[in-house]
Amino acid sequence: MEKIMIINGSPRAPRSNSKKYSELFIKHCSVPTEYFSITNKNHLELCMKMEEFTDILLVFPLYADGIPVTLMNFLKTLEGNQPKQKPRISVLINCGFIEPEQNNIAVKMIEFFCKEQGYSFGSVLRVGSGEAILNTPLKIFVTRKIKQLANSVVKGRSKNLKVTMPISKKMFVKASSSYWKNYGERNGVTLEQMATMEIEK
Amino acid sequence: MNLILSDKYLQLTIEDRSTEFINLSELKISNCIGCFGCWTKTPGRCVIRDDAVKVYPKIAASRRVLYISKIKYGSYDTVMKTMLERAIPIQQAFIRLLNGETHHIQRNVAPKQATIIGYGNISDEEKQIFTQLVERNARNMCFENYRVIFAQENILEQTVEDEVMAWRK
Repeated sequence: MEKIMIINGSPRAPRSNSKKYSELFIKHCSVPTEYFSITNKNHLELCMKMEEFTDILLVFPLYADGIPVTLMNFLKTLEGNQPKQKPRISVLINCGFIEPEQNNIAVKMIEFFCKEQGYSFGSVLRVGSGEAILNTPLKIFVTRKIKQLANSVVKGRSKNLKVTMPISKKMFVKASSSYWKNYGERNGVTLEQMATMEIEK
Repeated sequence: MNLILSDKYLQLTIEDRSTEFINLSELKISNCIGCFGCWTKTPGRCVIRDDAVKVYPKIAASRRVLYISKIKYGSYDTVMKTMLERAIPIQQAFIRLLNGETHHIQRNVAPKQATIIGYGNISDEEKQIFTQLVERNARNMCFENYRVIFAQENILEQTVEDEVMAWRK
Protein backbone atom coordinates (compact mmCIF):
# COMPACT_ATOMS: atom_id res chain seq x y z
CA MET A 1 0.00 0.00 0.00
CA GLU A 2 1.34 3.42 -0.99
CA LYS A 3 2.20 5.87 1.75
CA ILE A 4 3.55 9.29 0.89
CA MET A 5 6.00 11.37 2.90
CA ILE A 6 5.68 15.05 2.11
CA ILE A 7 8.82 17.06 2.77
CA ASN A 8 8.59 20.83 2.71
CA GLY A 9 11.97 22.27 1.66
CA SER A 10 11.05 25.94 1.99
CA PRO A 11 13.30 28.06 4.20
CA ARG A 12 10.20 29.56 5.81
CA ALA A 13 8.32 26.29 6.03
CA PRO A 14 5.75 27.16 8.74
CA ARG A 15 4.48 30.20 6.81
CA SER A 16 5.30 29.07 3.30
CA ASN A 17 3.31 28.71 0.12
CA SER A 18 4.90 25.26 -0.07
CA LYS A 19 2.94 24.41 3.08
CA LYS A 20 -0.29 25.49 1.39
CA TYR A 21 0.55 23.42 -1.70
CA SER A 22 1.29 20.47 0.59
CA GLU A 23 -2.07 20.87 2.33
CA LEU A 24 -3.86 20.82 -1.01
CA PHE A 25 -1.97 17.68 -1.97
CA ILE A 26 -2.90 16.00 1.31
CA LYS A 27 -6.54 16.95 0.85
CA HIS A 28 -6.71 15.44 -2.62
CA CYS A 29 -4.56 12.37 -2.13
CA SER A 30 -6.29 9.00 -1.88
CA VAL A 31 -3.58 7.26 0.18
CA PRO A 32 -2.13 8.07 3.63
CA THR A 33 0.33 10.96 3.77
CA GLU A 34 2.50 12.43 6.47
CA TYR A 35 3.82 15.99 6.40
CA PHE A 36 7.27 17.17 7.52
CA SER A 37 9.28 20.30 7.06
CA ILE A 38 13.06 20.51 6.99
CA THR A 39 14.67 22.27 9.95
CA ASN A 40 18.37 22.63 10.78
CA LYS A 41 18.07 19.89 13.33
CA ASN A 42 15.79 17.18 11.93
CA HIS A 43 17.76 15.93 8.89
CA LEU A 44 18.64 12.56 10.41
CA GLU A 45 15.17 12.05 11.79
CA LEU A 46 13.71 12.61 8.30
CA CYS A 47 16.25 10.24 6.71
CA MET A 48 15.26 7.47 9.13
CA LYS A 49 11.55 8.12 8.68
CA MET A 50 11.84 7.64 4.92
CA GLU A 51 11.91 3.86 5.24
CA GLU A 52 8.27 3.86 6.26
CA PHE A 53 7.14 5.34 2.95
CA THR A 54 6.84 4.21 -0.65
CA ASP A 55 6.99 7.75 -1.98
CA ILE A 56 8.48 11.13 -1.14
CA LEU A 57 7.02 14.38 -2.39
CA LEU A 58 9.50 17.25 -2.21
CA VAL A 59 7.64 20.58 -2.07
CA PHE A 60 9.75 23.70 -2.40
CA PRO A 61 10.10 27.15 -3.98
CA LEU A 62 12.53 28.16 -6.72
CA TYR A 63 15.41 30.15 -5.19
CA ALA A 64 17.90 32.00 -7.38
CA ASP A 65 17.02 29.72 -10.34
CA GLY A 66 17.72 26.55 -8.36
CA ILE A 67 16.84 24.55 -5.26
CA PRO A 68 16.91 26.41 -1.93
CA VAL A 69 19.93 25.87 0.31
CA THR A 70 17.63 24.44 3.00
CA LEU A 71 16.77 21.54 0.69
CA MET A 72 20.31 21.16 -0.68
CA ASN A 73 21.65 20.76 2.85
CA PHE A 74 19.08 18.07 3.55
CA LEU A 75 19.93 16.18 0.34
CA LYS A 76 23.60 16.24 1.33
CA THR A 77 22.75 14.68 4.70
CA LEU A 78 20.57 12.11 2.95
CA GLU A 79 23.57 11.05 0.81
CA GLY A 80 25.34 9.82 3.91
CA ASN A 81 22.25 8.39 5.60
CA GLN A 82 20.36 6.42 2.99
CA PRO A 83 17.22 4.49 3.96
CA LYS A 84 17.42 0.73 3.28
CA GLN A 85 14.33 0.84 1.10
CA LYS A 86 14.59 3.80 -1.21
CA PRO A 87 11.26 5.50 -1.86
CA ARG A 88 10.40 7.04 -5.22
CA ILE A 89 10.84 10.83 -5.27
CA SER A 90 8.35 13.27 -6.82
CA VAL A 91 8.47 17.07 -6.95
CA LEU A 92 6.02 19.93 -6.46
CA ILE A 93 7.88 23.17 -7.16
CA ASN A 94 6.61 26.75 -7.34
CA CYS A 95 8.03 30.06 -8.52
CA GLY A 96 6.69 33.61 -8.46
CA PHE A 97 7.13 34.11 -12.20
CA ILE A 98 4.31 33.32 -14.60
CA GLU A 99 6.38 30.79 -16.56
CA PRO A 100 6.33 27.38 -14.85
CA GLU A 101 9.28 26.51 -17.12
CA GLN A 102 11.52 28.73 -14.97
CA ASN A 103 11.44 25.78 -12.53
CA ASN A 104 12.94 23.34 -15.04
CA ILE A 105 16.58 23.56 -13.95
CA ALA A 106 15.72 22.97 -10.29
CA VAL A 107 13.74 19.87 -11.30
CA LYS A 108 16.75 18.62 -13.30
CA MET A 109 18.89 18.98 -10.18
CA ILE A 110 16.53 16.73 -8.20
CA GLU A 111 16.46 14.24 -11.08
CA PHE A 112 20.23 14.25 -11.09
CA PHE A 113 20.31 13.62 -7.33
CA CYS A 114 17.91 10.68 -7.78
CA LYS A 115 19.93 9.12 -10.58
CA GLU A 116 23.22 9.53 -8.73
CA GLN A 117 21.87 8.24 -5.43
CA GLY A 118 19.72 5.41 -6.80
CA TYR A 119 16.21 6.71 -6.19
CA SER A 120 13.59 6.31 -8.86
CA PHE A 121 12.11 9.57 -10.02
CA GLY A 122 8.34 9.93 -10.04
CA SER A 123 6.16 12.83 -11.12
CA VAL A 124 6.55 16.59 -11.23
CA LEU A 125 4.22 19.55 -10.92
CA ARG A 126 5.75 22.92 -11.81
CA VAL A 127 3.70 25.88 -10.59
CA GLY A 128 4.10 29.36 -12.09
CA SER A 129 2.68 32.54 -10.49
CA GLY A 130 2.96 30.48 -7.32
CA GLU A 131 3.32 33.38 -4.93
CA ALA A 132 -0.18 34.73 -5.48
CA ILE A 133 -2.30 32.18 -7.31
CA LEU A 134 -3.67 30.51 -4.17
CA ASN A 135 -5.14 33.87 -3.05
CA THR A 136 -7.15 34.25 -6.24
CA PRO A 137 -10.13 32.44 -7.78
CA LEU A 138 -7.55 30.93 -10.18
CA LYS A 139 -6.64 28.57 -7.34
CA ILE A 140 -8.99 26.02 -8.94
CA PHE A 141 -6.47 25.51 -11.75
CA VAL A 142 -3.82 24.58 -9.21
CA THR A 143 -6.17 22.32 -7.28
CA ARG A 144 -7.02 20.43 -10.46
CA LYS A 145 -3.34 19.86 -11.26
CA ILE A 146 -2.52 18.86 -7.70
CA LYS A 147 -5.25 16.20 -7.95
CA GLN A 148 -3.60 14.92 -11.13
CA LEU A 149 -0.22 14.94 -9.42
CA ALA A 150 -1.57 13.02 -6.42
CA ASN A 151 -3.19 10.50 -8.71
CA SER A 152 -0.02 10.08 -10.70
CA VAL A 153 2.15 9.61 -7.59
CA VAL A 154 -0.29 7.04 -6.14
CA LYS A 155 -0.30 5.08 -9.40
CA GLY A 156 3.48 5.18 -9.70
CA ARG A 157 3.42 7.08 -12.98
CA SER A 158 5.97 9.59 -14.20
CA LYS A 159 3.95 12.60 -15.24
CA ASN A 160 5.42 16.01 -15.90
CA LEU A 161 2.72 18.58 -15.13
CA LYS A 162 2.66 22.36 -15.05
CA VAL A 163 0.18 25.07 -14.15
CA THR A 164 0.06 28.85 -14.00
CA MET A 165 -2.40 31.75 -14.11
CA PRO A 166 -4.23 31.60 -17.45
CA ILE A 167 -3.71 35.30 -18.16
CA SER A 168 -1.42 37.26 -20.49
CA LYS A 169 2.07 38.17 -19.31
CA LYS A 170 1.20 41.85 -19.47
CA MET A 171 -1.77 41.29 -17.20
CA PHE A 172 0.40 39.21 -14.90
CA VAL A 173 2.94 42.04 -14.55
CA LYS A 174 0.10 44.41 -13.65
CA ALA A 175 -1.51 41.99 -11.20
CA SER A 176 1.81 41.18 -9.54
CA SER A 177 2.55 44.91 -9.11
CA SER A 178 -0.65 45.45 -7.17
CA TYR A 179 -0.04 42.23 -5.20
CA TRP A 180 3.37 43.52 -4.06
CA LYS A 181 2.12 47.07 -3.55
CA ASN A 182 -0.51 45.73 -1.13
CA TYR A 183 2.09 43.52 0.54
CA GLY A 184 4.23 46.60 1.24
CA GLU A 185 1.28 48.68 2.40
CA ARG A 186 0.51 46.12 5.07
CA ASN A 187 4.01 46.84 6.41
CA GLY A 188 3.51 50.60 6.10
CA VAL A 189 5.85 50.80 3.10
CA THR A 190 4.83 52.76 0.01
CA LEU A 191 5.23 51.73 -3.60
CA GLU A 192 7.88 54.45 -4.06
CA GLN A 193 9.87 53.13 -1.12
CA MET A 194 9.62 49.58 -2.43
CA ALA A 195 10.79 50.71 -5.85
CA THR A 196 13.92 52.40 -4.50
CA MET A 197 17.00 51.90 -6.67
CA GLU A 198 19.27 52.24 -3.61
CA ILE A 199 20.97 49.21 -2.06
CA GLU A 200 21.95 49.16 1.64
CA LYS A 201 21.25 52.87 2.01
CA MET B 1 34.88 47.61 -9.96
CA ASN B 2 35.73 43.94 -10.48
CA LEU B 3 34.71 41.29 -7.99
CA ILE B 4 36.04 37.80 -7.41
CA LEU B 5 33.74 35.76 -5.22
CA SER B 6 35.06 32.39 -4.18
CA ASP B 7 33.74 29.65 -1.91
CA LYS B 8 37.28 28.77 -0.79
CA TYR B 9 40.59 30.40 -0.05
CA LEU B 10 42.75 30.86 -3.13
CA GLN B 11 46.35 31.94 -3.19
CA LEU B 12 46.28 34.55 -5.91
CA THR B 13 48.90 37.03 -6.98
CA ILE B 14 46.47 39.64 -8.22
CA GLU B 15 47.64 43.17 -7.75
CA ASP B 16 44.91 45.31 -9.04
CA ARG B 17 43.21 47.99 -7.01
CA SER B 18 39.99 47.73 -8.94
CA THR B 19 39.64 44.01 -8.24
CA GLU B 20 38.42 42.75 -4.89
CA PHE B 21 38.70 39.13 -3.79
CA ILE B 22 36.13 37.80 -1.31
CA ASN B 23 36.46 34.38 0.25
CA LEU B 24 32.91 33.49 1.27
CA SER B 25 34.03 30.55 3.40
CA GLU B 26 35.54 32.87 5.99
CA LEU B 27 32.44 35.05 6.26
CA LYS B 28 29.43 34.48 8.44
CA ILE B 29 26.45 34.22 6.10
CA SER B 30 23.26 32.48 7.13
CA ASN B 31 20.66 31.36 4.65
CA CYS B 32 17.82 33.44 3.24
CA ILE B 33 14.62 32.82 5.18
CA GLY B 34 12.32 34.05 2.42
CA CYS B 35 10.79 36.78 4.61
CA PHE B 36 10.55 39.33 1.74
CA GLY B 37 11.79 41.98 4.20
CA CYS B 38 14.27 43.29 1.60
CA TRP B 39 11.38 43.90 -0.80
CA THR B 40 8.51 44.95 1.46
CA LYS B 41 9.82 46.14 4.86
CA THR B 42 13.28 47.68 4.42
CA PRO B 43 13.56 47.82 0.61
CA GLY B 44 17.15 47.26 -0.58
CA ARG B 45 18.34 46.04 2.83
CA CYS B 46 18.33 42.51 4.19
CA VAL B 47 16.90 42.18 7.69
CA ILE B 48 19.60 39.62 8.60
CA ARG B 49 22.57 41.82 9.48
CA ASP B 50 25.43 39.40 8.93
CA ASP B 51 28.34 39.50 6.46
CA ALA B 52 26.11 39.08 3.40
CA VAL B 53 25.09 42.74 3.64
CA LYS B 54 28.69 43.73 2.86
CA VAL B 55 28.79 41.49 -0.19
CA TYR B 56 25.61 42.15 -2.17
CA PRO B 57 26.27 45.90 -2.66
CA LYS B 58 29.60 44.88 -4.22
CA ILE B 59 27.90 42.37 -6.47
CA ALA B 60 25.52 45.13 -7.57
CA ALA B 61 28.30 47.66 -8.24
CA SER B 62 30.67 45.37 -10.17
CA ARG B 63 31.02 45.47 -13.95
CA ARG B 64 32.97 42.25 -13.95
CA VAL B 65 32.31 39.32 -11.69
CA LEU B 66 34.18 36.06 -11.35
CA TYR B 67 32.39 33.44 -9.27
CA ILE B 68 34.26 30.34 -8.18
CA SER B 69 32.17 27.54 -6.79
CA LYS B 70 32.19 23.86 -6.14
CA ILE B 71 29.43 22.13 -8.07
CA LYS B 72 26.81 19.98 -6.37
CA TYR B 73 23.82 18.40 -8.16
CA GLY B 74 24.55 20.70 -11.11
CA SER B 75 24.11 23.72 -8.81
CA TYR B 76 26.51 26.01 -7.02
CA ASP B 77 27.34 24.19 -3.81
CA THR B 78 25.83 25.66 -0.67
CA VAL B 79 28.50 28.24 0.25
CA MET B 80 28.06 30.16 -3.02
CA LYS B 81 24.35 29.39 -3.32
CA THR B 82 23.72 30.81 0.16
CA MET B 83 25.30 34.11 -0.89
CA LEU B 84 23.44 34.27 -4.19
CA GLU B 85 20.13 33.69 -2.38
CA ARG B 86 20.99 36.46 0.07
CA ALA B 87 21.62 38.87 -2.82
CA ILE B 88 17.94 39.44 -3.64
CA PRO B 89 17.85 42.87 -1.90
CA ILE B 90 19.47 44.17 -5.10
CA GLN B 91 16.22 43.40 -6.91
CA GLN B 92 12.74 44.80 -6.39
CA ALA B 93 9.65 42.72 -5.69
CA PHE B 94 8.17 44.18 -8.86
CA ILE B 95 8.20 42.22 -12.05
CA ARG B 96 8.95 43.29 -15.62
CA LEU B 97 9.07 41.60 -18.99
CA LEU B 98 12.62 40.90 -20.17
CA ASN B 99 12.99 39.21 -23.56
CA GLY B 100 9.40 38.07 -23.26
CA GLU B 101 9.87 36.49 -19.84
CA THR B 102 8.90 37.73 -16.39
CA HIS B 103 11.78 38.76 -14.11
CA HIS B 104 12.27 41.02 -11.13
CA ILE B 105 13.23 44.65 -11.71
CA GLN B 106 16.84 45.31 -10.71
CA ARG B 107 17.78 48.20 -8.45
CA ASN B 108 21.10 50.01 -9.20
CA VAL B 109 22.82 46.94 -10.57
CA ALA B 110 25.63 47.44 -13.08
CA PRO B 111 25.35 45.28 -16.20
CA LYS B 112 28.04 42.63 -15.92
CA GLN B 113 30.56 40.56 -17.77
CA ALA B 114 30.47 37.34 -15.77
CA THR B 115 32.80 34.40 -15.62
CA ILE B 116 31.70 31.41 -13.59
CA ILE B 117 34.23 28.75 -12.70
CA GLY B 118 32.78 25.47 -11.47
CA TYR B 119 35.15 22.98 -9.88
CA GLY B 120 35.11 19.48 -8.47
CA ASN B 121 34.59 16.08 -10.06
CA ILE B 122 31.79 17.07 -12.36
CA SER B 123 29.95 14.68 -14.66
CA ASP B 124 28.87 15.74 -18.15
CA GLU B 125 25.26 15.81 -17.02
CA GLU B 126 26.11 18.14 -14.13
CA LYS B 127 28.07 20.39 -16.48
CA GLN B 128 25.04 20.61 -18.70
CA ILE B 129 22.68 21.45 -15.82
CA PHE B 130 25.10 24.02 -14.42
CA THR B 131 25.54 25.72 -17.79
CA GLN B 132 21.76 25.97 -18.11
CA LEU B 133 21.59 27.36 -14.57
CA VAL B 134 24.05 30.13 -15.39
CA GLU B 135 22.08 30.90 -18.53
CA ARG B 136 19.03 31.44 -16.26
CA ASN B 137 21.12 33.46 -13.77
CA ALA B 138 22.22 35.77 -16.58
CA ARG B 139 18.66 37.05 -16.92
CA ASN B 140 18.12 37.48 -13.18
CA MET B 141 21.57 38.75 -12.24
CA CYS B 142 22.16 41.29 -14.97
CA PHE B 143 24.89 39.40 -16.85
CA GLU B 144 25.35 41.12 -20.22
CA ASN B 145 27.45 38.19 -21.23
CA TYR B 146 29.00 35.25 -19.44
CA ARG B 147 31.37 32.35 -19.71
CA VAL B 148 31.23 29.08 -17.83
CA ILE B 149 34.52 27.28 -17.18
CA PHE B 150 34.96 23.91 -15.50
CA ALA B 151 38.21 23.16 -13.71
CA GLN B 152 39.77 20.53 -11.53
CA GLU B 153 40.34 21.79 -8.02
CA ASN B 154 44.13 21.38 -8.26
CA ILE B 155 44.44 23.88 -11.11
CA LEU B 156 41.88 26.33 -9.77
CA GLU B 157 44.33 29.10 -8.86
CA GLN B 158 45.92 28.98 -12.30
CA THR B 159 42.50 29.02 -13.98
CA VAL B 160 41.44 32.07 -11.97
CA GLU B 161 44.67 33.93 -12.65
CA ASP B 162 44.47 33.22 -16.38
CA GLU B 163 40.99 34.65 -16.39
CA VAL B 164 41.97 37.79 -14.47
CA MET B 165 44.95 38.31 -16.79
CA ALA B 166 42.58 38.15 -19.74
CA TRP B 167 40.59 41.05 -18.19
CA ARG B 168 43.61 43.27 -18.55
CA LYS B 169 43.94 42.74 -22.27
